Amino acid sequence: MSTLAIFHSTIRAEEKLLVQAARRRNVQVKLVDIREEIFDPFSYRPDFDLALERSVSTVKGDYAAAFLEKMGRPVVNSLHVARNCEDKFQTSLILAAAGIPCPRFALVFSPLQALEAIKAMGGFPVVLKPPLGSWGRLLAKVNDRDALEALLEHKGVLGSPPHKAFYLQEFVKKPGRDIRAFIVDGRAICAIYRESPHWITNTARGGAARLCPLTDEIRTLCQRVSEAIGGGLLAVDLFETGQGLQVNEVNHTMEFRNSEEPTGVSISEAILDYCLTLMKDGHS
Amino acid sequence: MSMNQLAMEIRGDCPVCAGSIVAAEGLEESEILTCPECQSKLVVDSQQGQSLILSEAPLIEEDWGE
Repeated sequence: MSTLAIFHSTIRAEEKLLVQAARRRNVQVKLVDIREEIFDPFSYRPDFDLALERSVSTVKGDYAAAFLEKMGRPVVNSLHVARNCEDKFQTSLILAAAGIPCPRFALVFSPLQALEAIKAMGGFPVVLKPPLGSWGRLLAKVNDRDALEALLEHKGVLGSPPHKAFYLQEFVKKPGRDIRAFIVDGRAICAIYRESPHWITNTARGGAARLCPLTDEIRTLCQRVSEAIGGGLLAVDLFETGQGLQVNEVNHTMEFRNSEEPTGVSISEAILDYCLTLMKDGHS
Repeated sequence: MSMNQLAMEIRGDCPVCAGSIVAAEGLEESEILTCPECQSKLVVDSQQGQSLILSEAPLIEEDWGE
């Protein structure tokens, strides 16, 4: 019988849903705490057929994916997909190169260049984000030059090296919500509105989830995003604008605990089905 | 509460406030719980019979998330 290994660190509600789905379906599952592994290529003996990488730590997850792929084990999501999603600048470059609609963006390393980039984007306000980060943390809506200079000075002095790369994004005025669409193997399976009076709508920051019907526009855009990023399991954040939908960000270790109930879709079962299909086909 | 319900309960002590934590069956190691008394985030280190061994959950790190 094939074995699915779920590589994890902290067990979130999502990992519990995945384990419960696997047990309901009598799928042989091995829970692997990534923090207890020794990735030694000379001694490691993988005793599973496919790894579902669900570490809450991006760094640990990347190392696990890199190692396991070198050991000949398929990983979901692959290191290639993870790398394309975890850095917002990298993601934006990929989307722009594929002609996928997204907000204007730029990366700079100094206040002077930031001002020039902002002018080219159409002026303030803009959004300043760390290139690496999640859950809506450390985002800043920068309304004017004074705020920009203060923020960049703080990041320059207090931040670690990644924080000294200033990712600037055009501020998109949203209708009190954005859209989170869930993609499995190139196909959007469901979506939610994340509603909030605050401009940051992450559910981790208090945004409320409500069913968003899957339109042809959402489906087509999700398919294009998946093709550009490299497939797998993706959670895409979309803005509604006067010119249509724009892709804000793409996430590769999707959290979905707040999304199964409003959508009526078992995202955990869909993830499991995807893994089982890969195991049956013998590839990732 | 019935004897069956008591038998299914898993109990532990909060390492922060010494409060009592009662949980249902089916917990996984490394799962996060919230202490009902002091609201601290706790992690399940292990389960020994009907007893939970808990510690404070690790702080969120910079690279955590989706």
